[in-house]
Amino acid sequence: MKSAAVRTVFIIDDDRGMRQAIQDLVESVGLRAESFPTGEEFLSRQRTGDPSCLVLDVRLPQMNGLDFQRRLAETGVQIPIIFITAHGDIPMSVRALKSGAVEFLTKPFRDQDLLDAIHLALQRDSAALEQQAAIHDLQERYQALTARERGVMALVVCGMLNKQIASEIGASEATVKIHRGHVMQKMQAGSVVDLLRMADKLKLSARK
Amino acid sequence: MRFFTTLWKKIENLEKTVGKRQLKQLPTSFVFEWNVIRMCARGIQIMADRKLQETQAEFLLMSRELQESKARLEEAQRVAHVGYWVWDLETNRLIVSDEYCRILGLTPQEELIDLDKVREMIHPDDREAVFRTAEEAVRSGTRADCEHRLLRPNGEVRIVHSLGDLKRDSSGRPYQMFGTTQDITDRKRAEQALQQTQIYLREGQRLARMGSWAFNDSGLYWSDELYEIFGLDPGNGAPTVEQYLAIIHPQDRDSMAETIKMMFQQHCACDVTKRIVRPDGQLRYVRCVATPVIEQGVFKGLLGTAMDVTEQELLTQELRREQAYLTDAQSMAHIGSWAYNLVTHKLLHSSDENARLYGFDPSEGPISAERFFATQHAEDAPRVNAVLERAVREGTDFYLDEYRIHHTDGSIRVLRAIGHRNPSGECGEYVGITMDITERKRAEEERERLRQLEADLAHINRVNMMGELAAALAHEIKQPIAASITSANTCLRWLAHDPPNLERARGAATRSEQEGNRAADVINRLRSFYKKGKPPEREMVDVKAIIREMTALFRNEAVRHAITIHPELDRDVPRVLVDRVQLQQVFMNLMLNAIEAMQDTGGELTISVRPNSEDQIIVSISDTGVGLPPENTEQIFEAFHTTKPEGTGMGLAITRSIVESHGGRVWATANRGAGATFHFTLASEAEAHA
Repeated sequence: MKSAAVRTVFIIDDDRGMRQAIQDLVESVGLRAESFPTGEEFLSRQRTGDPSCLVLDVRLPQMNGLDFQRRLAETGVQIPIIFITAHGDIPMSVRALKSGAVEFLTKPFRDQDLLDAIHLALQRDSAALEQQAAIHDLQERYQALTARERGVMALVVCGMLNKQIASEIGASEATVKIHRGHVMQKMQAGSVVDLLRMADKLKLSARK
Repeated sequence: MRFFTTLWKKIENLEKTVGKRQLKQLPTSFVFEWNVIRMCARGIQIMADRKLQETQAEFLLMSRELQESKARLEEAQRVAHVGYWVWDLETNRLIVSDEYCRILGLTPQEELIDLDKVREMIHPDDREAVFRTAEEAVRSGTRADCEHRLLRPNGEVRIVHSLGDLKRDSSGRPYQMFGTTQDITDRKRAEQALQQTQIYLREGQRLARMGSWAFNDSGLYWSDELYEIFGLDPGNGAPTVEQYLAIIHPQDRDSMAETIKMMFQQHCACDVTKRIVRPDGQLRYVRCVATPVIEQGVFKGLLGTAMDVTEQELLTQELRREQAYLTDAQSMAHIGSWAYNLVTHKLLHSSDENARLYGFDPSEGPISAERFFATQHAEDAPRVNAVLERAVREGTDFYLDEYRIHHTDGSIRVLRAIGHRNPSGECGEYVGITMDITERKRAEEERERLRQLEADLAHINRVNMMGELAAALAHEIKQPIAASITSANTCLRWLAHDPPNLERARGAATRSEQEGNRAADVINRLRSFYKKGKPPEREMVDVKAIIREMTALFRNEAVRHAITIHPELDRDVPRVLVDRVQLQQVFMNLMLNAIEAMQDTGGELTISVRPNSEDQIIVSISDTGVGLPPENTEQIFEAFHTTKPEGTGMGLAITRSIVESHGGRVWATANRGAGATFHFTLASEAEAHA
């Protein structure tokens, strides 16, 4: 959606030479890069809503890269991570990838491998951001519904007919029809199937 | 009387001759007178005849009485062993009684006994004295009285008492000596024996410091020694009960008074040891034993002994103290003592601690040898018995380093025993000690286990440390290299831009160079760090001493893998100027390698040192293990070259580095048989000083 956004690669490596080399490499392919010697400094930076990814050294002075990854997940920061390490072993890479890392590269790595991983990560982040934006939009629409309309919507997505809904909420069938029309309109749903999909994305469960 | 008989016969004969007829022719007066005479004669004759008969009867009676008297005398003599003799001083003839003959040991009335015979039979030592006494008696007229010995024909010696009295005629001249001789041998011997017994008894009491006493109807008797023991004067007589109790030590007085009361009232025996304080102030221990005298159920008195047991008592107290100390010592050290006869299987002594070692309660009383032997562990019994049997057979001491027993608490304990043959005792008698070494054994095992663990840990550490070092090194070097490579690639990318971004490319290239240098710096830093290490401290070292140290260090490790270490150190070698610690490290590396090469098979590790012609010494460490890899043997000295799964590949590289820094050389050769030999040379003293 926002394809014109500036995509940023964040780099965390305690080794200044390595940090600068990666930043330079990223910039050479036209991406924006920001590097930090520690995870703390990265966290203190306010993130934008633009797509980004993180190139993370496994061995960090204060905190191990894998632990930092977990900490990010715990605090709700969602960012694709590419691990780099001077000596990685298989269990370590498995653990990193299982926790959602995009790639696990051993230094010295081929420059193209890192750039490929960065592109993949940025794509994933873009997709995630779009999805988040869509859900955010849906949530706004849902918030616009009245309580009665939300109740009707819940029963609709359960597959109930207007007559059934009317008896369920103790109103006339005609009233239900009006509510249902409002719901479809406010939620910008073309069909009941659309509405069902939206409910699924909003993680609304049928309450009965 | 005979006269009257003869007269009457003459009358009768006359009458026969004359005839009655003629008598009738004689004058009547004459006849009458004749008849009167005749009648008288006849009467006298009859009377005389009667008198004779009476006299004869009287004589017979007297004669019989005499015979009886004589027999009685004989009997009396025989019973009293008294014989008599009569010595005619004029004729020197001797008349003796039968009993006298018997006293001499002769048969009465068979042998002629004269003075010579008697002289001959008197004991030669007494002969002179006897006759001098007799002569003296004759001369002085006094009674002869002497005791002397007789020598019987069968050789027997008898002791006799002889008395002799002189008989004098009317003129007062002695003509005869009458004497008696009594055999007093038995009495004399009894007397002697009694005397001897009394001497012995007195002496015995004195020696034993034991006195005796008796109390009965005739009073209280104290033996001399008893006065001596109590320090009392025999002249004052036996003490009264009150006096006696006053001598008893105040602390023992009441109980002694009670004992005396009991003895008199209940007629019981006693055996008490009490203290007395003698008049001279000495404190003595006296043991009193008394027993009642009861005859036919009637109490007649008391009989007792008293013995000075001061020395024994003090000794006993001392002994008890010593025993207590010994018991304590044994208990503290867990060492028991015993005496046992291995031949008769008799247990002569077993200390309390000895019993406790096996879990027996010493207060139960003596424990039989069988019970001790029953505790033997079945696996150890044959070995233990073999040791004991050999000790008995060869008459030697024995040492049982360790053997297991079943303690009564169910546990298995390890004991050690040492037995010494008791040369003064009977055959097979041994005295010894037994100690419990279970804890010591356990501690030893624990120590061995810990030592093993330590060795394993040290090995793991060594491997780990090398691994860590390598990893740290790798990280330190990889980091700048990776940065350098990335920068180089980035440089190429800037150049590939259209148009090429030369400025950024230059920057990247510069960084690439910097990072390359940084990698080199890391390596240099490492080398300088190594150089900065402790400067080598060279000193004159005896290589043989180091070999001995290292052999001792590896002995247990070698034994564990069935490896024997042979240090061959008989060659004289000069001292070398080396860093002792580094040289030890060289030995450690090469010996560990050798042991590891044989750890599955066992084998022999030989270390030799010999002088070399080039003022060097050569050390060779040879094993019989797996041998060298078939490729170039020089390669094994290169760093990180290893054939072992957990090896670091650094051991031989370090070894070479050290040896070369000492101006020596290290190389390996394959043995003709199995295994390999590693050699290294070191500059000897002469060269080192040059």
